[in-house]
Amino acid sequence: MSTIELEARSIVKRYGPLVANDRIDLSVLRGQVHAVMGENGAGKSTLMSILYGMQAPDSGQILLRGAEMRYRSALDAIGAGMGMVHQAFKLFNSLTVWENVVYGMEPTRFGFIDRREAAKRVATLAERYSLRVDPNAVVGQLSVGVRQRVEILKALYRDARVLILDEPTAVLTPQERDGLFDIIRNLTADDRTILFVTHKLHEVMAITDRVTVLRDGKVVDRMVTSETSAREIIRAMTGRAVNLTVEKRPAEPGAVVLEARGLTVATDGGKPVVDHVDLSIRAGEIVGIAGVAGNGQTELIEALTGLRVPDGGTVSIQGTEVTALDVERHRDAGLAYIPEDRATTGTALAASAADNLAMGFQRKPPLSNGRLLDASAMTTHAKRLIERFGVKIGSEQLAVGTLSGGNLQKVVVARELSHAAPLLIAEQPTRGVDVGAIEFIHGQLVAERDRGSAVLLISAELTEILALSDRVLVMFDGRILAELPAAEADEETLGLLMAGRVRDAHLDGTEAA
Amino acid sequence: MSERSVRTLRFPRIPAVPLAIGIGILIGGLLVLASGGDPIAAYREILVGALAPSNWPNTLNWAVPLVGMTLVAALPLRGGMVNLGGDGQLVIGGLVAAMAALYLPLPGPLLIAASILCAMVASGLYASLAAWGETRFGIPMLISTLLLSYPAIGIASYLVGFPLRDMATGLAQTRMIPDAARLPTISGPLNIGLILMIVVAIAVVFYDRRTVGGYELRMRGLNAKFAGYGGVRLASQQMRVMFASGAIAGLVGAILVLGSLYRYQDGALLTPGYTWSGLMAALLAGGAPLGAIAAGLFFAGLQTGGFAMQRETAIPRVLTMILQSVIILFLAIRHGVGRKSS
Repeated sequence: MSTIELEARSIVKRYGPLVANDRIDLSVLRGQVHAVMGENGAGKSTLMSILYGMQAPDSGQILLRGAEMRYRSALDAIGAGMGMVHQAFKLFNSLTVWENVVYGMEPTRFGFIDRREAAKRVATLAERYSLRVDPNAVVGQLSVGVRQRVEILKALYRDARVLILDEPTAVLTPQERDGLFDIIRNLTADDRTILFVTHKLHEVMAITDRVTVLRDGKVVDRMVTSETSAREIIRAMTGRAVNLTVEKRPAEPGAVVLEARGLTVATDGGKPVVDHVDLSIRAGEIVGIAGVAGNGQTELIEALTGLRVPDGGTVSIQGTEVTALDVERHRDAGLAYIPEDRATTGTALAASAADNLAMGFQRKPPLSNGRLLDASAMTTHAKRLIERFGVKIGSEQLAVGTLSGGNLQKVVVARELSHAAPLLIAEQPTRGVDVGAIEFIHGQLVAERDRGSAVLLISAELTEILALSDRVLVMFDGRILAELPAAEADEETLGLLMAGRVRDAHLDGTEAA
Repeated sequence: MSERSVRTLRFPRIPAVPLAIGIGILIGGLLVLASGGDPIAAYREILVGALAPSNWPNTLNWAVPLVGMTLVAALPLRGGMVNLGGDGQLVIGGLVAAMAALYLPLPGPLLIAASILCAMVASGLYASLAAWGETRFGIPMLISTLLLSYPAIGIASYLVGFPLRDMATGLAQTRMIPDAARLPTISGPLNIGLILMIVVAIAVVFYDRRTVGGYELRMRGLNAKFAGYGGVRLASQQMRVMFASGAIAGLVGAILVLGSLYRYQDGALLTPGYTWSGLMAALLAGGAPLGAIAAGLFFAGLQTGGFAMQRETAIPRVLTMILQSVIILFLAIRHGVGRKSS
């Protein structure tokens, strides 16, 4: 068991002045699950893309089963027995599972694709590792968890001996995550090796054998999981101790700030994506909406924020009905909004920090008189927010596209919180953000609540929902399936509800819609 | 995220515009050489023709409509929108200006002002029709602006060919406009159209840099989703910007008709190809107003220089058009390559 499967020796990768990988040594034992941890920008993704042949290192060696590898592209790496499941799946949604799996390596008969043989091979492979997938299902109709299994099958079909899983649990329910862990155990039992890239400590503790921690492009620590603790790993990642639980007083809910009645977003012909949702959020409370991505949360938020006109129902903010009005009128009524995707919605990457931080303030004093901008006020505004929120940026005139994920998110959070609006909608506020930034953003959200703001939190991250919410709503299939006080919400109950299994969740005395 | 943004650092930015211009000049020179001409002489004549002090009025006179049409393209482009309908808007502006000058019973300066205003409003409305089509019905402006040009050109052509035709000449053109409606001249071919255009250019630059609207337009150009999320009303912004863009085209049409042609003549506004040169200049600068104006002036110099070269040497002025196209092509290639690597 203790042979070295994959070894990286002194890998160096520079991007201009920045050293993304600085003499990284990594050795992964055969049949083990090896975690690679680090904050955003620590160099994990760079290292993985080098190991997978997508990028060439500036110097250093890669050894696979003792032989030195020189990859010209990922195809070489795949040929040598590497596999990778990317965070964003690379699948053809309109094709079936087996078509996706065999793509590029189709079994043929008389020069034609042998469909039966292909489907059979995929089914056999799936069975062997308990990957429950129907080879003839169309990928676009599968849930995220199943799609991930298709990705794993793709790698196994190409006989990957080493499988890189990049943040594999980010999109999964707890139950799906446990299913993935079972699959991982099957794979390692078959002497396959897993490189597990993640932010999540409890997963590292649960499934991995060894941990390598990166910080600022360097390896700062190597640990055997069974001999270390979550706290120690965090200290290695951040260089300091981080508080993972959020300190907060009990909520003191006040007047209703956001109210939605019968909110419905229809699709063409089919079932509504948002199906008669009622909710009311009060001042001074954080209400979390838990749910697996794709159960209507995105559309619900669009309808609540004015990005989409709902097909039915009403929305009011502080008593003002804003249902069919545009975003500006929503914002005037008291909305601040941290969107799910900071790079495509929350910021303009090519614009300066000053420009990004001014958005939403541009029509009001002090940044303008409604028509003319005050450039120096914009600069002051930006400088103040950058300092208050600790955004690491050289100057407010620099484009924000150069910032790391956590810093970019801080720009968005800084801007939206500085509105001091009565209502804050925070959608996945810490997704893909490092531990230090998570701690900071969580603290800010609680402070916002204590200031008397109504906070609606949408997160696929159960730990986040559980840590912050005073009330939890579970969204499934376009509806609010259940509402629980924070005290009654635990990971297991929420997980079952998120999978739509109300009956199994044993909701004694709580409302289930 | 950080990894991705870092990757762009690998390619240090070679200033794209000088590079493209350099390559354009090189290829143009090779073409001249291949056809048996003297590239040095050709470029010298272009330079002299465009920049010798005695030729300034000509260059400037050519620059007024060209820079105008550059702004027509640049303003929407700043917000990530494309107005390909400059020709139609130009024609409408020219025709409306001529009709107003011929038929409005107003005294001198008022007649000029009214004619210009009518032209701007008419072209502005015509351009915002495309914006309305996109926001209301989802018809892409890229297509609708271009397509809307053809009916405008066709109808204008019919009007001056039949109902409004000047019977005295028998050509497809209106009567001469009264003296009172003609733009006062400054010197030589230059008239106060130059001053009007300078005012508009300054206004556009000011709008872009100093106003709330300019900020919102710039943000839309960088990320329309971000602007919409931030509370910018995208639909009304699109209408306003297209109106302004069309109005500038209308102004250019009016300046040409009231300032140098003194009548609306079928095809006269379109033959020089101001719209397309302007569009290229705007693309060259990526929609940034100052850069676009500079590019417009550069093209105007190139084109007037081309006329001079054609007069002085045997090399046809098409060469300058080739230069222009090669420059744009190389810029486009660079942009494409840049996008792939990031």
